[in-house]
Amino acid sequence: MTERPAIQTRGLTKHYGDVHALVDLDLEIGPGEIFGFLGPNGSGKTTMIRTILDEIRPTAGSARILGMDSHKQSVEIRRFIGYVPGDLAMYPNLTGRDTLTYFSNLRGGVDWSYVDELADRLDADLGKKIGDLSSGNRQKVGVIQAFMNKPELLIMDEPSSGLDPLVQREFQAMMREVAAEGRSVFLSSHTLSEVQRVAGRVGIIRHGHLIAVEAVSSLRSKAIRKVDLYFDEPVEGAVFEHLPGVSGVAVENHRVSLSFTGRMETLLGVIAGRYHLVDITTQEADLEEIFLTFYRDEDVTV
Amino acid sequence: MAIGAVTLAGLFLFGMAVYRDINLSFYTDLPDVYRMLMAIPEGADVAGLAYGAIYASYGGLTLAGLAVAMGAASIAGEERRGTIGLLLANPKSRSNILIAKTASMVFLTALGALFLWGAGLVAPVILDVSIAGMHVGALVFHMLFISLFFGFMALAIGASTGSAGLAAGATAGTMFVSVVAASLFPVVEGYENAAKAFPWYYFNGSQPLTNGVDWGHIGMLSAGIVLFAGIAMVGLNRRDLKGQTVGVTLVDRLRGNARTRRLADRLAGSTRVSRMWIKIASERQGLLFITASLMFFVMGVMMGPMFALIDDSLVAMMDQFPEALLALFGGGDMSTPEGWYQIETFGMMAPIAVIVVTVAVGAGAVAGDEERGAIGLLLANPIKRSTIVLQTVTAMTLYGAAVGSATFAGVAIGSLLGGLGMNIGAIAATSLLVTLVGMVFGAAALALGAATGRLKVAVFGSVGIALVLYVLNAFLPFSDALSGYVRWSPFYYYLGSDPLVNGMHWGHGAVLAGITVGLVTLAVVLFDRRDLRQTG
Repeated sequence: MTERPAIQTRGLTKHYGDVHALVDLDLEIGPGEIFGFLGPNGSGKTTMIRTILDEIRPTAGSARILGMDSHKQSVEIRRFIGYVPGDLAMYPNLTGRDTLTYFSNLRGGVDWSYVDELADRLDADLGKKIGDLSSGNRQKVGVIQAFMNKPELLIMDEPSSGLDPLVQREFQAMMREVAAEGRSVFLSSHTLSEVQRVAGRVGIIRHGHLIAVEAVSSLRSKAIRKVDLYFDEPVEGAVFEHLPGVSGVAVENHRVSLSFTGRMETLLGVIAGRYHLVDITTQEADLEEIFLTFYRDEDVTV
Repeated sequence: MAIGAVTLAGLFLFGMAVYRDINLSFYTDLPDVYRMLMAIPEGADVAGLAYGAIYASYGGLTLAGLAVAMGAASIAGEERRGTIGLLLANPKSRSNILIAKTASMVFLTALGALFLWGAGLVAPVILDVSIAGMHVGALVFHMLFISLFFGFMALAIGASTGSAGLAAGATAGTMFVSVVAASLFPVVEGYENAAKAFPWYYFNGSQPLTNGVDWGHIGMLSAGIVLFAGIAMVGLNRRDLKGQTVGVTLVDRLRGNARTRRLADRLAGSTRVSRMWIKIASERQGLLFITASLMFFVMGVMMGPMFALIDDSLVAMMDQFPEALLALFGGGDMSTPEGWYQIETFGMMAPIAVIVVTVAVGAGAVAGDEERGAIGLLLANPIKRSTIVLQTVTAMTLYGAAVGSATFAGVAIGSLLGGLGMNIGAIAATSLLVTLVGMVFGAAALALGAATGRLKVAVFGSVGIALVLYVLNAFLPFSDALSGYVRWSPFYYYLGSDPLVNGMHWGHGAVLAGITVGLVTLAVVLFDRRDLRQTG
């Protein structure tokens, strides 16, 4: 594939009457990228996805998918994408295999050995009727449906809902493989934990506005960590108190507890050569905290 | 319920207005037995005819039908949707829930009856028609009890089995048999009392419009209601609740058996999903099968020998029937085989049958899929929106043609069995025209669904339009001033040329096909321009 962006939106806007579901969204996602699209319920994630898929039409602005116009070339675009909708509804009277056959017939064929491989990896039962499956097992069929054509771009709206942790891990591995092959993944979610494991970059949307786009690594470095340092002798807390990014220092005999933001090497650099560090534990900051911080900081009015 | 009651009231007003303007002298000529069959009291005038035709027949069926729908949905419907678990998570016993559900069914049915009562009293005032000596309240009271009877029956079956489809189907079937039996037995000599075995008899058997409330009959219906309520209560409390399930079809069972799996897989699986229109067509095969069988056996094959068997004097009496009444059933000369088949089969039943299947497909495949949220996934495939519309039209044509062909085959065989000697070409022509008229309303349902994405708009809109246009086609010819407007009803292009006698009228066929093409084009354009709904 060429190096054209997987998704490129320019001023994408969608109004429902007075409700501004999507406002002036500019976004570019490159080939081989896993992009996490984060926002709480009702923030405009699904509206954005439905707009670029031509299910609904933008009030203003435009979107290009794989270099093609999202409206004018929508049929051609859909040859190259896989889609897992947010509220996955399929045909309750068809089995999983029937459903996949139906969609593959609409596309003109599929590699069934790959489908079986996917079903095997996700532990999906394709013989049962969709209507008799639990929501998690139904979701697996939806995921296989999106992956089975090896699409250039996967667009998934909260795809891991209902999947158990083991299957989620396998699903994440599948996404990474897609990216490794130079294909792209657009992953919308309201939970950060799943996004931070796979995504390279994250866009955060709220009230229809794209608040920020950042690399997951840089987001993580912004995070506040709880750090516990254990030394082989009692130390003075004052040494740490004036370091940049450090706060809330507490000393208890051999142990120093503190909160820290920034790169870990800054902290370790101070210690090195001065004290004998026995052990260190850090509680990895949940992106949830950063997420909330963003929302507190960027209170967008609608 | 509101839609049903308002439609009925409107139809009643319209019927009364029409009856007011036509010559009613023919009543004196009507044999008693037919007046009874039509639920028209003796010495009937405008009002009596209107109440009889609209309230005692359609009214009872509609109100009872709505009660059945509510009764079937109240417990079994929640189970099918998988919501009963949530409901029972509240500190309410099963009995509590059953009582609450029952109360709401009774309340809504009573509300519908009350509304019809009001409309039945207001309409004559508006139209300045005398209703002296008529017990409208008594008629509606009986209507309420027959409706509740069948509503409770559906409730009992649904609550005892957890199957909403079984509850609605079995009750509707019983009701249909009961209506037919209660109207036919009284006119069969020696079997007059057999009608009393069927509940519908207790609705209008005592002629409540003329004679007031018959408390004995109300008592019979009430006893049935209490019995069903008891069955529902015991049945619901004793059994395991079902989870959210989908129906198991015959093909599914064949698929489960190792010996038949290969064939069934092909039928149910790979073939069914090989093309979009085949999949759409496969989704309502049960409805198609029942409708086509009914048209073939009952409305087609059986009617031929029946014509040969019925008494000549009966035919002679039928001849005296007012045209206005016969027009409602498609009109025709009862003394000829063609007229017989027109009144029994082609006039009303055939268009209803074709419209039922075409509307089901036309509304279901676009608006139905959109409402269930399944269309998003479908449109993630490289297909145009117009493809969905056109594939739906293909499936719809197949359905309409299947019912049309079943009717044709049934009537042709019936004519042969009864030795009626009808023209095969003319039967084919009429069957083709009825298919085309069905396509018009299927396409209307498709266009409404494509424009709005709402199943209810598509179904009730197209059926409502069909009903109004049907009634207009039946009654407009009786008014000299308005008869020209009959050309605005598609039904005019169906039987207007008397195809059962005259054979195919290609011009009329072309008009129907043209309207269909126009509506489909509209559907394509409207569907393409619109934002898809987000549901779920």
